[in-house]
Amino acid sequence: MSNNNGNLKDYVSFYDVKTKHKGILSWLLTTDHKRIGIMYLFSIGAFFLVGLTFAFLMRLEMLTTGPTIVDAQTYNSFFTLHGMIMVFLFIIPGIPAVFGNFFLPMQLGAEDVAFPRLNLLSYHLYLIGALLAIFSLVFQTHIDTGWTFYVPYSLRTGTDIALPLLAAFILGFSSILTGLNFVTTCHRMRVKGMKMFSMPLFTWSLYSTAWIQVIATPIIGITIVLVLLERTFKFGIFDPTLGGDPVLFQHLFWIYSHPAVYIMAIPAFGIISDVIATFSRKSIFGYKVMAYSTLAIAVIGYMVWAHHMFTSGMSDTARTVFSFLTFFVAIPTGVKVFNWVATLWRGTIVLSAPMLFALSSIFLFSIGGLTGLHLGTISTDIHLHDTYFVIAHFHYVIIGGILSMFIAGLHYWYPKMFGVMYNEKVAKTGVVLYFIGANVLYFPMFIMGYMGMPRRYFDYLPEYQIYHVVSTVGSWILITAILLMIVNLIVAKVKGNRIAGGNPWGAKTLEWAMPSPPPLLNFVETPVATEDPYDYHGHDERVFIENKEKDIQEVN
Amino acid sequence: MFEQASKYAATVDDVMIYVTVISVAMLLLITVAMIYFVIRYNAKRNPIPTPYHGNVAIEITWIVIPTILVMTMFFYGYKDFAELRNTKEQDMEISVTAKMWDWDFEYENGTKTDTLYIPVNKTIKFNITSIDVLHSFYIPGFRIKEDAVPGRDGFVFITSEKTGTFDIACAEYCGQRHWDMYKKLVVLPQDEFAAWYGEEDSNIEDKASSEEVKEEESDDVADSEDSESDND
Amino acid sequence: MSTTSVDSHGHGNNAAHGYGDNSQLYVHVHRDDYGSKFGMWLFLFTEVLLFGGLFILYYGYRIAYPQDYHNAAMELNIVMGAVNTLVLLTSSLTMVLSIVALRRKSIKVSLFYLGITFLSGATFCVNKYFEWMGKIHHGIYPGSEDLAARPAGEIVFFGLYYLMTGLHTFHVIVGMVIMVFCYIFIKTGTINSDKYIVLENAGLYWHLVDLIWIFLFPLFYLLH
Ligand code: HEA
Ligand code: HEA
Ligand code: CUA
Ligand SMILES: [Cu+2]
Repeated sequence: MSNNNGNLKDYVSFYDVKTKHKGILSWLLTTDHKRIGIMYLFSIGAFFLVGLTFAFLMRLEMLTTGPTIVDAQTYNSFFTLHGMIMVFLFIIPGIPAVFGNFFLPMQLGAEDVAFPRLNLLSYHLYLIGALLAIFSLVFQTHIDTGWTFYVPYSLRTGTDIALPLLAAFILGFSSILTGLNFVTTCHRMRVKGMKMFSMPLFTWSLYSTAWIQVIATPIIGITIVLVLLERTFKFGIFDPTLGGDPVLFQHLFWIYSHPAVYIMAIPAFGIISDVIATFSRKSIFGYKVMAYSTLAIAVIGYMVWAHHMFTSGMSDTARTVFSFLTFFVAIPTGVKVFNWVATLWRGTIVLSAPMLFALSSIFLFSIGGLTGLHLGTISTDIHLHDTYFVIAHFHYVIIGGILSMFIAGLHYWYPKMFGVMYNEKVAKTGVVLYFIGANVLYFPMFIMGYMGMPRRYFDYLPEYQIYHVVSTVGSWILITAILLMIVNLIVAKVKGNRIAGGNPWGAKTLEWAMPSPPPLLNFVETPVATEDPYDYHGHDERVFIENKEKDIQEVN
Repeated sequence: MFEQASKYAATVDDVMIYVTVISVAMLLLITVAMIYFVIRYNAKRNPIPTPYHGNVAIEITWIVIPTILVMTMFFYGYKDFAELRNTKEQDMEISVTAKMWDWDFEYENGTKTDTLYIPVNKTIKFNITSIDVLHSFYIPGFRIKEDAVPGRDGFVFITSEKTGTFDIACAEYCGQRHWDMYKKLVVLPQDEFAAWYGEEDSNIEDKASSEEVKEEESDDVADSEDSESDND
Repeated sequence: MSTTSVDSHGHGNNAAHGYGDNSQLYVHVHRDDYGSKFGMWLFLFTEVLLFGGLFILYYGYRIAYPQDYHNAAMELNIVMGAVNTLVLLTSSLTMVLSIVALRRKSIKVSLFYLGITFLSGATFCVNKYFEWMGKIHHGIYPGSEDLAARPAGEIVFFGLYYLMTGLHTFHVIVGMVIMVFCYIFIKTGTINSDKYIVLENAGLYWHLVDLIWIFLFPLFYLLH
């Protein structure tokens, strides 16, 4: 086992290393990918909590018919802010910016990304965008267009939409630069001997995601600019009274925003691949198929955008073609799910907290993904479009799938990032609560949706109330679970729990081949890449545990 | 609970059940496999993993079978959709104009109403547009929905097969009172409808029988054809 | 497994490493010209897609309003457009000459050609300014009453005309700013015959700006 790397006592971690600038500036002006990753973690975490607050308030409002805690206008801005913050500030940058920055170079055996200064610029752009968004949140009338800001409503609304949209534009720029950086890094920074097809699957997923970021994001950039200009100068591009066509706006919006859901999803899949392989003590089943299916999702995902527009008034032929194409994204995703499950077969399964979370997320994601099929089927989507069924679909994929995977990753890499181990029992309790909460919160929405409850409704007919009540109770369970897990992680760090050691999980990928937290330039010794990134030949769990105990005694 | 107002609604529900059954089967398959493996190959029971890198035949199987399954889903969905969009002989045309935050329903004879009355066992065509922002004309009981887009005309057909009252909702976000665009669709027996329609219409002297109403409508087919070709 | 394994690390500059001795500052000394160019190509790709969104709109509306497009396009001044095309094409050439000269270590020549490129960009902008002013005097600008009275397709055509040529001109200006920086860096020697990747990337950017114009010109001025 690689435990010999873990026990260097006299190295300096990247937290303690002397830096040119002092204090907060040593963070804000750093080009170290690890520090940037940590900064993203905290910024993104903060926004996540803001978005979560809006979600909580929304659920509270839906507890009873009629006004419960706020009026209609406020509710409309709640879901808009919730959607925009969660999408643009949290989940799209999420995994690539936090774990991608921290671990991509390490998994490649590199010292840093290809363009460290550009990386810092990405972070600064993120920060500027975020500050604009906050400024607007605090000082302006709240945007009420929905996160999709469809024209013509977004051209007419009296609320301040300029700053939030500008923020989204800047965040897009940040995303493009990150993508560009990662693609180049994967091509140019691999350690000697590592081929493209011996990169870990998390790195593969970042690579595909980076391509989507590069290809899709410019379109939303120009679309936002057009909406802003249209509002001020009346170009007539989208305004129907001037000859523009609102349906064209929807095309431009979804050409970005559909691939964007895969920007969220693919890196999360990458985390799960790494976690499953590590805790099955086995190479991933069908490694190449996994790598190709990641690319396939990226490519096919680019061709299905109009499945959000089956009732929009585009031609019937287009509706049919896009329904047809939509089904093909399900195939590579299905391949991934099956390969994960097959990896377990004849492995040595260690049910640690990250692993438990990974398994639960596969289940929840599958529910979300499979209901995507109901939405891709054209006749049913006509009924389900813009109802709570859609809300349930994407919260299952996002909260059940991607966020679970994000948190699984957080628990998996936490010892590496902070050098301490958390209480696994509490973490596992969190997983179980999370699983229950997510189902109670979102399952009733499927039923409501099929009964015909439209989304973005401040008020509803009395027959839906029972479902809304159950759902709101679910939100409390879920939020408890999340807070429990966050507190558990914070406590571990503050109390300085037992030292994690370099490789507490017995993982094989290169980010574990160094002490935790890592030293400034990552590797103490130039790492050696293996043909198979998850090479568990000759692994014996009993020996591994014995060595681990010894290690821990030595360190403490 | 899931009210069906027409045969079309029933076929949509059938597709829904079809997709759901396949989905549940798939979900069970992977869940059972996962749980079984976790127990069977637990680290305690199986401390030495057996390296295995994959198998082409299996990969092909789980590419091909899901592909076939989803293609059947596409096909059933498409079949109903084609049926829905097929230009049919309509018995009656009603123009629907959305605005913030109300619907205007206008019959061929110029009658405007707030609650939409239609006769049972007739095929009705709604011509849908909007005068301000996007809205969406949604009748859950009939499983149909079509956006109201300013500057464009959309259409949707329904065939009323039983009498009763159904909700009409706005499904595309349109501002502050988007939630407040609920209206009622009332399907009346033909004679009752004729009585109501005749009363509303001061131009028709004869309190028309349902046959006459029908004849009048078919005169207007020529009209309606222009508005159809506007689509797409 | 010693902690001072820096030598085995394959980097000449020990002082650049944080291991062992935490009094050392970290200086990143990674240089990869091929990587830089690769990154630049990716960036250019995103620029193409940025305009791609607008080209989609252009075609969408062209299909919807063929007649209005025809009428509106007749009003644009082909001569002005053609002159600008020539100017930009020439500047692309001088940009290449500047890079070639730098690689041959003739700094003066390189600076001279860079200057010419800059002036061409400026000429383009001035030309564009007069062209726009002419239109605006005729009351053709977004939001004007004259324009609002015209058919829908013409409003859209001119809307797109201002947007796309405007966005393009913005890119020309950005290109010119970059050239100013290059000029300074060549003078100070930061960019030199050994390390000219920045100038090369600036050149790539400028060619892209040129290329986009090559598409805009026929779409707005020639295609009736
Ligand atoms: C990360 C986010 C994410 C992901 C991964 C997905 C994945 C998918 N989505 Fe989802 N979607 C959203 C986020 C996401 N979606 C959001 C945010 C919206 C709403 C936007 C808005 O309007 O605000 C939306 C809306 C949305 C719509 C539009 C609904 C409407 O408004 O009318 C449609 C329609 O086709 C759709 C389809 C799909 C499909 C087919 C997949 C597929 O990729 C799913 C593939 C996965 C599986 C199929 C499950 C696993 C596979 C197996 C277990 C194998 C066996 C399966 C087979 C039989 C094939 N989605
Ligand atoms: C990333 C996307 C995301 C996330 C996480 C959520 C989370 C939640 N959302 Fe969602 N939601 C959207 C994206 C998201 N949402 C979008 C795009 C819309 C559409 C808006 C529109 O219509 O315009 C929407 C709309 C929407 C509605 C519909 C409003 C309406 O149409 O009227 C509702 C209603 O209940 C709702 C509820 C919730 C709840 C209860 C939660 C949460 O309670 C769920 C709990 C949270 C988690 C499970 C995350 C756990 C994560 C961590 C623990 C990470 C911690 C990490 C660090 C601290 C670093 N949301
Ligand atoms: Cu009208 Cu929503
Ligand atoms: Cu989509």
